[in-house]
Amino acid sequence: MSQENMTTSDPETTNTESDQLIDTDPGRGGLDESSGRGSVTSANTVIEARNVNVWYNDDQALNDIDMRIPKKQVTAMIGPSGCGKSTFLRCINRMNDLVDAARIEGELLFNGKNVYDSDVDPVALRRRIGMVFQHPNPFPKSIYDNVAYGLRLQGKTDNMDQRVEDALKSAALWDEVKDRLDESGTDLSGGQQQRLCIARAIAPDPEVLLMDEPASALDPVATSQVEDLIADLAEEYTVVIVTHNMQQAARISDKTAVFLTGGELVEFDDTQKIFENPESQRVEDYITGKFG
Amino acid sequence: MARLAYQERLENLREDVLYMGEIVGERLRKGLDALEQKDARLAEEVIEGDGEINRMYLDLEQDCIDLLALQQPVAGDLRFIAASFKIITDLERIADLATNLGGYAMEAEKDVFPDVDIQRLGETTLDMLEQSMNAYSSEDAEHCHDIADSDDDLDAMCEAASELVVRDLLESDPLDEDTNAESVMREVSRLLLTIRDIERVGDHTVNIAARTLYMIENNDELLY
Repeated sequence: MSQENMTTSDPETTNTESDQLIDTDPGRGGLDESSGRGSVTSANTVIEARNVNVWYNDDQALNDIDMRIPKKQVTAMIGPSGCGKSTFLRCINRMNDLVDAARIEGELLFNGKNVYDSDVDPVALRRRIGMVFQHPNPFPKSIYDNVAYGLRLQGKTDNMDQRVEDALKSAALWDEVKDRLDESGTDLSGGQQQRLCIARAIAPDPEVLLMDEPASALDPVATSQVEDLIADLAEEYTVVIVTHNMQQAARISDKTAVFLTGGELVEFDDTQKIFENPESQRVEDYITGKFG
Repeated sequence: MARLAYQERLENLREDVLYMGEIVGERLRKGLDALEQKDARLAEEVIEGDGEINRMYLDLEQDCIDLLALQQPVAGDLRFIAASFKIITDLERIADLATNLGGYAMEAEKDVFPDVDIQRLGETTLDMLEQSMNAYSSEDAEHCHDIADSDDDLDAMCEAASELVVRDLLESDPLDEDTNAESVMREVSRLLLTIRDIERVGDHTVNIAARTLYMIENNDELLY
């Protein structure tokens, strides 16, 4: 993804959390640590989009998105297919960097630091902003190694057993797998695999968890378990979830963002407000099924 | 327009609630007529008809529960169903009060205090019921506030009527030697209960208006 017109963050203020996005490992390019500065956003905001526009070649996928995602809450993004909600999610931890045709303008701040600044290391960013995908994708390794993998990459090899156990407990999977940690992660049920992927994502202790339809491939029981888990995770992490299931968004989120066709963020408010009395008639029509 | 079957069920619910409102209005009218004419047959008709209203209420309650459980309504649809769910309870209670009027009509022997204009009070509540159901039907928020204002007038009229009964009772000395004291006291009690029940009908029409205002504007200012 190319970054045109990405503005530079305010150099007058510092933010120690954003410093951790700067890759100081000479083996990965050794970016300038002193440039790890960023504007300070409101205390409750962890991610802020400012006039974010995204194109895939000539097709605009996101249109002037302004949004503040609050810390340690669940923010759901809903909207019809092709509305740009997944694109926005993937912009947050620069997953769209992998798409050559994608181009972004505007600012996307994580703790006040623009994640598209040239000194931000995407790998370091993704350690702080983990991601869980629609289909569970455990590595063909043991349950233990699936969780330990990210920790080893970070060089966090001390107290590994405890770290793995903690992550599996946080993902509400420990009791089901504690006696078979050396079995393959791919032998677990779909719901267990997804919780294993969540354990893998939270093991490096990120601040934000991005979830792209994490329960859409699961049966109702496994979906309930993942939904319960999301509520628990929000006590420690900021969770941003894309879902096609509006009832799921209503059940589990604190805030809801409604994207509609053309990559437009039409309304962003408390979930209760969105589902009981939305401001926009277009949102009302969409969530009540009159849209289209 | 998507979810056509769902939209049709919502429309059916609206029509059924309006129909229940019409039937309840008819029962209230008959209850008042029975009182005025001391018509035992008409009073009996109102009392016996209450079972039909109760069944109608239970059917509509089930329709609301089904819509909530099966369609997961949100936003305006959710408020419409929630409001309808409450409104049918108020309609059912108005029908119960109409039944009370029928019962009073059957017990009535004479007008002990003809100065108390029960029919005027009753007509006011009938008008309020019609207006509240019109507001629900046409989603008219302004009308909802008018009904709340009308109830203030009705309360004042009912209070004045009750005072009139008490004052006349004290001043006219109906308990003289030629009068059957027990019969008079029964009639006075019946009259005061009639005034109280009519006042309660007014309260229920305000509830309907309040739920309608919530349905239209997510505005709870008329609720209590």
